[in-house]
Amino acid sequence: MNDDTTRPDGGVQTEPELKRGPFQRWINRSIDDPERAYRAMFYVATGFFLVTTLFPFYFLLVLAVTPEAAGLQLVPAAFDFGVFLDVFRQINFLRYMFNSLVLALTTTAIVLLLSSLAGYVFGRLEFPGRTPLMLLVLAISYFPPAAFFVPLYQLFTGNVIQGLVLYNTPGAMILPFSSLFMPLSIFILTTFYGQIPDGLEDAARVEGTTRLGALFRVIVPLSAPGVATAGVLTFIAVYNEFFFSQLMNNGQPENWAPIVGGLLQLQRAGQFQVTYGIMAAGSIIAVVPVAILVVVAQEKIVSGLTAGALKE
Amino acid sequence: MSTEQPTGSAPRRERSGPYVAVVRWMENLSETQYAYLLLTPAFLLLGAIAFWPLVSTFQLSLFADSLGQASVGEFIGLGNYVAILTGERTALLPSPFLPQSLTVGAMFNSALAVTVVFTVISVFFETIIGFVQALVLDQNFRGRRWVRVAIILPWAIPIVVQGMIFFLMFQPNLGFLVGTSDNPAFLNQIGLLTTTPLANAQDATMIVIVADVWKTTAFMALLILAGMQSIDRSLYDVAKVAGASPWQRFKYITFPIILPTVMVAMLFRTIQAMRIYGLIETVAGCTTVPSLSCLVITTFNNRMLGSSATVAFITAAIIAAIVSVYIVGYARGDV
Repeated sequence: MNDDTTRPDGGVQTEPELKRGPFQRWINRSIDDPERAYRAMFYVATGFFLVTTLFPFYFLLVLAVTPEAAGLQLVPAAFDFGVFLDVFRQINFLRYMFNSLVLALTTTAIVLLLSSLAGYVFGRLEFPGRTPLMLLVLAISYFPPAAFFVPLYQLFTGNVIQGLVLYNTPGAMILPFSSLFMPLSIFILTTFYGQIPDGLEDAARVEGTTRLGALFRVIVPLSAPGVATAGVLTFIAVYNEFFFSQLMNNGQPENWAPIVGGLLQLQRAGQFQVTYGIMAAGSIIAVVPVAILVVVAQEKIVSGLTAGALKE
Repeated sequence: MSTEQPTGSAPRRERSGPYVAVVRWMENLSETQYAYLLLTPAFLLLGAIAFWPLVSTFQLSLFADSLGQASVGEFIGLGNYVAILTGERTALLPSPFLPQSLTVGAMFNSALAVTVVFTVISVFFETIIGFVQALVLDQNFRGRRWVRVAIILPWAIPIVVQGMIFFLMFQPNLGFLVGTSDNPAFLNQIGLLTTTPLANAQDATMIVIVADVWKTTAFMALLILAGMQSIDRSLYDVAKVAGASPWQRFKYITFPIILPTVMVAMLFRTIQAMRIYGLIETVAGCTTVPSLSCLVITTFNNRMLGSSATVAFITAAIIAAIVSVYIVGYARGDV
């Protein structure tokens, strides 16, 4: 960590210090200067967190590329990348991925449109009933999905309104996703829209813009970072959702089951039909879209999570 | 614009038509009317897909489980609540709601107890580890951006993939964490895990807790980090000049200022942990670790709609109670 073989002045080390090990030398210096000890603790903690967060992904990768015949080792002895193609041969994984992306994008669009309107109202307008309505929206986000499940299942399977069957269609998932993830977007957009100076909106209105025009041509573009934040968070939330994704379809790709259905199908097929390597490969492929999003949009994610949660 | 022009109109166009009529109508609304108009779409959706199901769940919970073809039986008022909370219904439920006895095995078999155990332990560790992660991310160092990506990554992956990772890691003889009885791994030797941990309620709960901590600590860390970064840096300079050690700076400046943020973050995590379902379903299955949400689904699959709705509503009520405790405590600490 800290093995000084040459002294700062460039001289050769002839001092008795040489006899001590580098560790003891380091301890001595730390006692003289506690900041060094804190620095070391920092590096140890950082290293520890990097290993613990990334190791499961590494495990998944090793499991996927190690051929079945070879034993699993920390550094694989042999590689076989064909397993990533096997995933698509084994089940219609492409369709599952497509379903997931369609569901996530559609939900994001609906949520952004509706929460833009609501965020504008809560962020910029004064009207009676504002606080109770905001609390009502907040309350929704507290309820567990299980509290909505039974009636929604009955509704979507046509037991409430005859002839209205949404089970096994995108609607059965997009509707619950939209209403459950909308509160977060409303809070993020309320904050962002509330920060636009009134003068800009007034100027647009004086220029003859309609009320809605002022919202969509002035407020929304000026809050582009906020809209992007809400969009990214909604997309990730929907893509990662489990509850309704599993329960509102029968798990078949042609019935709009997202990747939850695909991976569970691989898992439940059992070890003899589907190797663990294929399950691991499928999981890795499923992570790719969100991993890219995290690398590209991490600032947005961080600011959105904190703004949305601490708003309250 | 879909303005229909009357033939032979003057150069100064008469504005009419449906679009213009709508615009004019909208311009003439009072601010309150306009506010409610814009809220209508969002609240229609929330009303149909959130408020109605909540009310309807409560309504269903007042009816007995159906024995025949109908979806629910007769109206029994609060009978379901009484039957579930007194343990009268236990024999019929896929897993008991309350622990049958005070033994460890009974605790892990009960929906309420296992959910509470899971929530308390995982939120506790997430707070501690999240705090340390936030301290690390608060430093300025090269590569900070990439360390942050690494820490957020588990938070951003689908629940089903998270479950898959831990399902595979704890497969006997697949990873190096679990061996077989002839070839026990380290964790088996020290008696922490059995050789079939995913079929054992206690082991599976522990694995689910580890998986949850792994994934959601980042959320905690980010919220706490935001609290730390809102602290006025000059406070630290003053403390440094006054000779405070880093530990003292942490204890007297950082900690008291971010405590409210930590409370909010813990509240959020508690609410989310109470609804645990997907992770359990993927890692161990709802029969091994019967969380509250799991019990809602398993009773529903047994066509016990009344009981299912009752469990769902009790879950919601428990969460509401936790939220109010936090809010009251928060308000008291604030004043």
